[in-house]
Amino acid sequence: MSEPALDLERDTELLRRIAGGDRSAFARFYDEYSGLLFTIAVKILNDTKEAEDVLQEVFLQIWNKAGAYDPLLGKPASWAVTLTRNKAIDRIRSSQRRSKLIEQATMEAAVSPDNSPSANEKLHGRENAQLIRSEVAALPPDQRRAIELAFFSGLTQDEISQTLQEPLGTIKARIRRGMLKLREKLEEFI
Amino acid sequence: MIDERMEEQASLYVLGVLTREEAHAVETALKQDAKLQQLVSAMMISRDALAGSLPQITPPLTLRQRVLEQVKAPEKVVKFSPRTEESSGGWAIWLPWALAACLAIVCAISFSQQKGLRQKIDAQAKQLTELDQMADALRDQTQNLKQAVATLQETNRLASLRIAMLNSMLEDSPKAVAVSLWDVQQQRGVFLVQNLKPLPADKDYQLWVIDPKYPTPVSAGVFQVDAQGNVRLQFKTDKLIETADKFAVTQEPKGGLPVPTLKNLVLIGG
Repeated sequence: MSEPALDLERDTELLRRIAGGDRSAFARFYDEYSGLLFTIAVKILNDTKEAEDVLQEVFLQIWNKAGAYDPLLGKPASWAVTLTRNKAIDRIRSSQRRSKLIEQATMEAAVSPDNSPSANEKLHGRENAQLIRSEVAALPPDQRRAIELAFFSGLTQDEISQTLQEPLGTIKARIRRGMLKLREKLEEFI
Repeated sequence: MIDERMEEQASLYVLGVLTREEAHAVETALKQDAKLQQLVSAMMISRDALAGSLPQITPPLTLRQRVLEQVKAPEKVVKFSPRTEESSGGWAIWLPWALAACLAIVCAISFSQQKGLRQKIDAQAKQLTELDQMADALRDQTQNLKQAVATLQETNRLASLRIAMLNSMLEDSPKAVAVSLWDVQQQRGVFLVQNLKPLPADKDYQLWVIDPKYPTPVSAGVFQVDAQGNVRLQFKTDKLIETADKFAVTQEPKGGLPVPTLKNLVLIGG
């Protein structure tokens, strides 16, 4: 397990080297985060082949745009997660799978806790990964559902509100409370 | 002090559900407010941890190769600057000798490469033979299981489904067992393992499909097991599998290898 501050320092240095055309730094960044990013892409797209395409595009973007990384907008890992999520969502939107998506989002209950290995094990160590999973599972189901729909589904705020059949204000407040709670609970592990 | 409305906008920003204009407004505020920066950064880390708590799906090894190849630095172009010889007579005299020397060097390199290649092929053939021998040794032990699997195969209406039972090769995990289901038509499979010991962080288990069509086993990706030694995963291969003759699991360095390390054979069966 690594220290978060050291991870940040290491990743920032990796991005600096990638911006300078260092392929070994790029390979290191890939090895560190491809599992997490691929998992996110598969979760959003529900298709491993498309997720592979997304991951390839994301890493090409990281290679080309590492110099434009802005620390104000999050850690390097968070930047890569945002790129992956946005590319996957763009792909869903452009392929007009929206209605199917809403249907899928409606049917899919909150993700059930699972004991198989997660990307967090590699990034935060096995014990912390278990703790993170417990804290995520301990979120009130309505908050967790709203957060997961917002991040993984590509639905707009209004669509989330319609899917969950709750007023938009309620959904926003739920997401806010859930995110604050998650931050408070996870702060000590990561 | 960050008010509730800004906390709300920050949460929605982190989850990517703000409109372009709203996101731009948050980013503008971020540049002027250190506390907001801290909040957004911490929320992003929480968001990443939430995403990271999903069961991990490992990308195929070939994707790594593709990604790294697409950023290959362009070959360095060495400019050829012909030098003007002061005496053309000397150049003309040495040219045939230089050509002969070059030819000799090329022949030597080619011979050396051919020899190395032959050694590699021999080594891989030997590895395959060893793998076959191990599978033969297991055949007797797994006779009952095979009969059960054969019955299942017969009754299975999906004729293209290949079901295999894998048994442990490890003395310290004799109870480790796995089942592999491979759909020849869909070219994808499901793999279930039980009682396999968890690995240190710098190692992975790697699943292989042995198709007689290929000289070496075909990688089907790497995986880890949970604390109880169990995992269920979906897998694909990079090559078209016509006959999934056997399945094997080896223990490899993190991320896996293109060819299995046979001395680290963990499970095998067909």
